[in-house]
Amino acid sequence: MNMSKVYKANVCKRENRKIADFLWSGVFPASITTMDSKWSRRTAGSLLLLLVSNLLLCKSTASLPICPSGAVNCQVSLRDLFDRAVILSHHIHKLSSEMFNEFDKRYTQGRGFITKAINSCHTSSLSTPEDKEQAQQIHHEDLLNMVLRVLRSWNDPLYHLVTEVRGMQEAPDAILSKAIEIEEQNRRLLEGMEKIVGQVHPGIKENEIYSVWSGLPSLQMADEDARLFAFYNLLHCLRRDSHKIDNYLKLLKCRIIYDSNC
Amino acid sequence: MDLWQLLLTVALAGSSDAFSGSEDSSGKPKFTKCRSPELETFSCHWTDGVHHGLKSPGSVQLFYIRRNTQEWTQEWKECPDYVSAGENSCYFNSSYTSIWIPYCIKLTNNGGMVDQKCFSVEEIVQPDPPIGLNWTLLNVSLTGIHADIQVRWEPPPNADVQKGWIVLEYELQYKEVNETQWKMMDPVLSTSVPVYSLRLDKEYEVRVRSRQRSSEKYGEFSEVLYVTLPQMSPFTCEEDFRFPWFLIIIFGIFGLTVMLFVFIFSKQQRIKMLILPPVPVPKIKGIDPDLLKEGKLEEVNTILAIQDSYKPEFYNDDSWVEFIELDIDDPDEKTEGSDTDRLLSNSHQKSLSVLAAKDDDSGRTSCYEPDILENDFNASDGCDGNSEVAQPQRLKGEADLLCLDQKNQNNSPYHDVSPAAQQPEVVLAEEDKPRPLLTGEIESTLQAAPSQLSNPNSLANIDFYAQVSDITPAGSVVLSPGQKNKAGNSQCDAHPEVVSLCQTNFIMDNAYFCEADAKKCIAVAPHVDVESRVEPSFNQEDIYITTESLTTTAERSGTAEDAPGSEMPVPDYTSIHLVQSPQGLVLNAATLPLPDKEFLSSCGYVSTDQLNKILP
Repeated sequence: MNMSKVYKANVCKRENRKIADFLWSGVFPASITTMDSKWSRRTAGSLLLLLVSNLLLCKSTASLPICPSGAVNCQVSLRDLFDRAVILSHHIHKLSSEMFNEFDKRYTQGRGFITKAINSCHTSSLSTPEDKEQAQQIHHEDLLNMVLRVLRSWNDPLYHLVTEVRGMQEAPDAILSKAIEIEEQNRRLLEGMEKIVGQVHPGIKENEIYSVWSGLPSLQMADEDARLFAFYNLLHCLRRDSHKIDNYLKLLKCRIIYDSNC
Repeated sequence: MDLWQLLLTVALAGSSDAFSGSEDSSGKPKFTKCRSPELETFSCHWTDGVHHGLKSPGSVQLFYIRRNTQEWTQEWKECPDYVSAGENSCYFNSSYTSIWIPYCIKLTNNGGMVDQKCFSVEEIVQPDPPIGLNWTLLNVSLTGIHADIQVRWEPPPNADVQKGWIVLEYELQYKEVNETQWKMMDPVLSTSVPVYSLRLDKEYEVRVRSRQRSSEKYGEFSEVLYVTLPQMSPFTCEEDFRFPWFLIIIFGIFGLTVMLFVFIFSKQQRIKMLILPPVPVPKIKGIDPDLLKEGKLEEVNTILAIQDSYKPEFYNDDSWVEFIELDIDDPDEKTEGSDTDRLLSNSHQKSLSVLAAKDDDSGRTSCYEPDILENDFNASDGCDGNSEVAQPQRLKGEADLLCLDQKNQNNSPYHDVSPAAQQPEVVLAEEDKPRPLLTGEIESTLQAAPSQLSNPNSLANIDFYAQVSDITPAGSVVLSPGQKNKAGNSQCDAHPEVVSLCQTNFIMDNAYFCEADAKKCIAVAPHVDVESRVEPSFNQEDIYITTESLTTTAERSGTAEDAPGSEMPVPDYTSIHLVQSPQGLVLNAATLPLPDKEFLSSCGYVSTDQLNKILP
């Protein structure tokens, strides 16, 4: 089953993300908690048809064998999981870049924040590899765990980012919509990664380590300048971390699936 | 003094500016670009702002600092390599490069800072150009003019695509050799791409550039690849042969126009008829179609009424159904507005007018072809054939409606209502055969009845539906006296059956009875002379029995048992009466002198065949 095509469609047409959600749920049945399974299966089946047609529109090349709807224990291959994860992470990074650029253009252009804003991101405390050599030396299980940690660390900030952007004066729709989508995709990516870890490294569940974000007060400051600066910093960090995760996953994918021969 | 000091400082400032300007007229050394080609190393370049020859090049130095963990604890360090990346550049190899770490660099000239810049390495990625471009021919079009090629290349050698450290996407551009605008293709992730529809006699240039997938900035273009396609075969057209669609269309239109005019204006009527057959216009003999168009139905009706052969039988199904349904289907219908009650009520005039109005709408003007009526009885194609099909259906419906009890008993064969029994207010579609009879009948009725019928009082006791035989020019309805002659139940031979029938059905909700049946049930004295009726209704409306008359005046029997008489044995319309308002219909029996018993039914409906047998 080729889930990469599924997520290409997700990238291609964002309005299908709900459909993709169902498919993802079909892949990760553990994540279906609240929905009635029968109903979800039926809707998943019909939405599958929709998505397939959309995929054809999205210039996908091969036919896709998708996890048949209704299959509870649908075993997605690791390759498909990775493909999917890479597509998601790329999408998140792209959105983050766009969001940062728009924010910069709109609010902080030419104010020299870039010089000041090389603040630390809250995820700097997580010791992640900083160049290729380090990344290659580290074991892939540890690298996966690091990815999980970073993703978890961003759950809270993204949630607050959405709330605070909404509260901004003249809440910019473009930025808000991107923030909402990033938050959603981040959760999904986290689920996916947990699944991957479950397949690659089954049995061992590490403690949920992540770094706490304490920047909420700065996002709510009364001083407009300080507040804008806090936003700028957060978005900058988000762009950076999404690139990092994207890179790690691509590295892991080539290493694990294609045996370093992408 | 102050003024002097001010002027002096200004002068000094100006001169110092001039000095610096002369020294650095091209500007201070500034960073032009920092770039990482593969996300493993990076280099920064700056402009040399020093005029050559004016002054010995100052010692421009680059210092960098990178953030570690939380703070900028380190001091500024000097550039490790001023050489590898060329002049006025600083090259940071992989040991000095950390991704996702903020760097700040500053440029100093003789100790003074001239420029500063901060960035992260992943933001400045601009890959090297791809290498190894080549192309292969995919296919050649059938016309031998165009061809498709596949262009392939290799990713830049320093980009570690294999391990997945960096993912590149490529953009291909091509153009003809003598063109100036490059055509761009969409970015692709693969290292080969097809280029379609290149002309075989032209030379093309192709170039590719790459960028990191999540970035926006492209790297440099690769070397240009020259694509020389094989020459066309000499057998193909020398020039671009374009099918002369334009000429063909023009000539075609011209020719068609000429032909059209020839035909239109030609004297040859036959050809003209062949090409442009005349469209039959709806036409009624003697009636100006404009009248119909304008919707002046009254005038049309008057004209039609004058016609001898006017037979208001062509009602469309809808009006027919309306009438029936109104009475029958709603037994519980509030009687206020129903026609029945109107008929029963005082304002008979109104009711009649209502009936008349209904009649007006019910299809007199529809599909009327007196020509055909007169000429073509056998074909029964009253209305361009529609009626042929419609009639039997309608008639069957009527029969069913009118003789429900009979249906129950399976007594009756299919009764054609048309000849003998025609619905009172709704003019039935008639079969063709009885038309001449009807013609005569109506004439007779017209002659006989008008004086009587025109009297509104005479219609006072008409409860329900009167057979409308005519509409006077004034617009009032002329009700047919019906069949005075139709004494009615000569057919009702099956009296014993009828008796039982009646007993079973009378109480039931069958809406329809034959008059004969009703008579039986009510034990009405069958024979009453029509003419001697006291009530004017029976004088004129032999066939119509009011509910009250049936139930109360038992002796009323209508014309059920009147001998058919010597008059024309053609009952034109069966009368439908509500027996139990609004529950039942009493149908007047037709007054055909039916010799045979098989003519069933007490209801007096005769099928066409039967009628044919009867009639002379």
